[in-house]
Amino acid sequence: MAKKNGNSFGSFNSFSKSKSIEPKGITPIRTEFSRGSIPDSIYTSNRESAWSRWRRGFEIYSNSSIGEVYSYPFDYVIPVGGAPLTGNQPRIPGLFQGFPTKNKELGMHWAGVRLGGSLRLDNIEDRFGTKASIASVTEDEDFWYVQLSGSWGPFPFTLPAPLFVFTGPNRPPLYPMNGEIFETRIVEPGGTPITSETIDPTTQKRYGYIQAVVVETKEETGVIKLQKQGSVESTTDAVFITPARTSPQIGRFMMTGTRYCCSCQDFTRRDYAYISQLGSTSNQKIFPRTKASVIKPGRFERMYRGEVVTGFGPIPSVRPKLDEQGRKIPDDRAMSKGTEDRAMEVIAPSAEYEIPPQVTPTSDTQQGATRDRPGMFRDFGGVYKRSTPLPSLEGATSEGMPTFNDYKTKENEDGSYEITSLTDFWTPLLDEIRYCKHIYAMKFAEKVFPPEPSDFPIGTAEGLVEWEQQLVEKTNKDNEKANYQIAVNGLAKMDVPPYNCGAPMMMPMAQKLFNIPSDFVQMSNFRMYDKNGKEYIPYEGGRPGT
Amino acid sequence: MADFGDIVDGVFVLSEEQVKIRKYGFSPIKASGIPTVYHAGDVVNLPYSGGEKSSIEALGDCWSAFATGT
Repeated sequence: MAKKNGNSFGSFNSFSKSKSIEPKGITPIRTEFSRGSIPDSIYTSNRESAWSRWRRGFEIYSNSSIGEVYSYPFDYVIPVGGAPLTGNQPRIPGLFQGFPTKNKELGMHWAGVRLGGSLRLDNIEDRFGTKASIASVTEDEDFWYVQLSGSWGPFPFTLPAPLFVFTGPNRPPLYPMNGEIFETRIVEPGGTPITSETIDPTTQKRYGYIQAVVVETKEETGVIKLQKQGSVESTTDAVFITPARTSPQIGRFMMTGTRYCCSCQDFTRRDYAYISQLGSTSNQKIFPRTKASVIKPGRFERMYRGEVVTGFGPIPSVRPKLDEQGRKIPDDRAMSKGTEDRAMEVIAPSAEYEIPPQVTPTSDTQQGATRDRPGMFRDFGGVYKRSTPLPSLEGATSEGMPTFNDYKTKENEDGSYEITSLTDFWTPLLDEIRYCKHIYAMKFAEKVFPPEPSDFPIGTAEGLVEWEQQLVEKTNKDNEKANYQIAVNGLAKMDVPPYNCGAPMMMPMAQKLFNIPSDFVQMSNFRMYDKNGKEYIPYEGGRPGT
Repeated sequence: MADFGDIVDGVFVLSEEQVKIRKYGFSPIKASGIPTVYHAGDVVNLPYSGGEKSSIEALGDCWSAFATGT
């Protein structure tokens, strides 16, 4: 039989040869994260592990990648309306802390810090001028109920904004301070916040204080509900313990504790496209995508070109600029000038969004209800805590690492097993802010040893020493590479705060950090400090000293 | 007695020697004064007196303005 040479048209071999013309750089989609492995429940559990963030955060802190080099301290002057104020201006002191990151497009994640003591309740008064000190405290197993001094009642005699914000009749009010950390560190009105070491001159003992998260505000009775779980006490021996065993001290004034936010994907739960990966042969994502199965009711942001205008209300606010046809101009640029403002529109589920208790074939769905934006939203997991309310109280027993023996069985006569009960060891606290590793690193830098999350990754326990050793080496290597990349490529002027504060990844973070509506995050109000501690205003063309 | 705006609690304290020998690699950049103003975990003293608008009041005004549709 003659051997067939040349053209292989018609031969089955041509199918296999077609591999050779596969466009370079196009690889099959394998997993949502990383490469190779197939997502399953353990994979998902490990990926979402808060413990992993806690441990990696400690490593970042230990590796000294945070420090003064990428710190950008600022005072944000809160905009006010009317005549210019005299005396000290209302402001929010804080800093942006850069974390060199080898995987990120511009090589840096920016975390924000709002300093403790920024907001104080000794500046809150009722209609008779009584300042809102702690009048009394009641408690149950899980919460403290702090009664604030003053005469509080139905609107307009409620607790004032921002503790309670009246939005109009038959509309849900706002409680911006719910979720804040409050600390009992002000002993007298206008007094300097006490520290762990401050001595009470009347007793010659340390004052001590507690910090706890605000979970509810009762505007008509003036009660602030604080959560015991996760609370911290600075004892009279200057030791931090958690949870606090002392109630909030009567007569003190509360103030806000340190507030952290971050621009990384983990904290913002937003995803980025990496333009630098276009044409790359790696199988990392080129375009953000989101599995339909993980999309939830939620919110997302839209950025528009903006300008600060007056006349819409008592305070100048950022409004979207309009084009000639009267349309808003979308503006998703990662960088902007220090003189440009962006308007941010938050698209959130309407108040009518309801999930029926049972889904039946006749269940009604809200057609207009907003859901997360596919390709933008990425859920990295929630905060999980043990079901025991106060595991560190005396007599309580720690549950230890998860064993997944979360069911009981009995053996039948035929040798088979039957499940008799199921137990859920985990209690998700969905509204609690979940920290990323950068925030954990800063909390370690703060010398506040953050409580160790209990969702230990599966499969790590046996080889923990080896796992940690690898983590140490990897963190060191990644930091070296990230710092080298930044050293070689440099950071552009617009890569750093506050120039990038209008970027889609930074604006939501700044809004959360200041706990202020984004209309009032305005470039003109940033006062920055350079390496010599000298103030400069980027909006007015100011630059750091060289 | 701490002044308005002073840091009253924090852990990031540079020694005199650390301030003195600050360098940025081998570049000729010079630095003086306190290197940075604020650090993670600092607590600030912001006691507003009567007649001044405090941060919490100004923040409340912003939220109220936002709630009324401005």
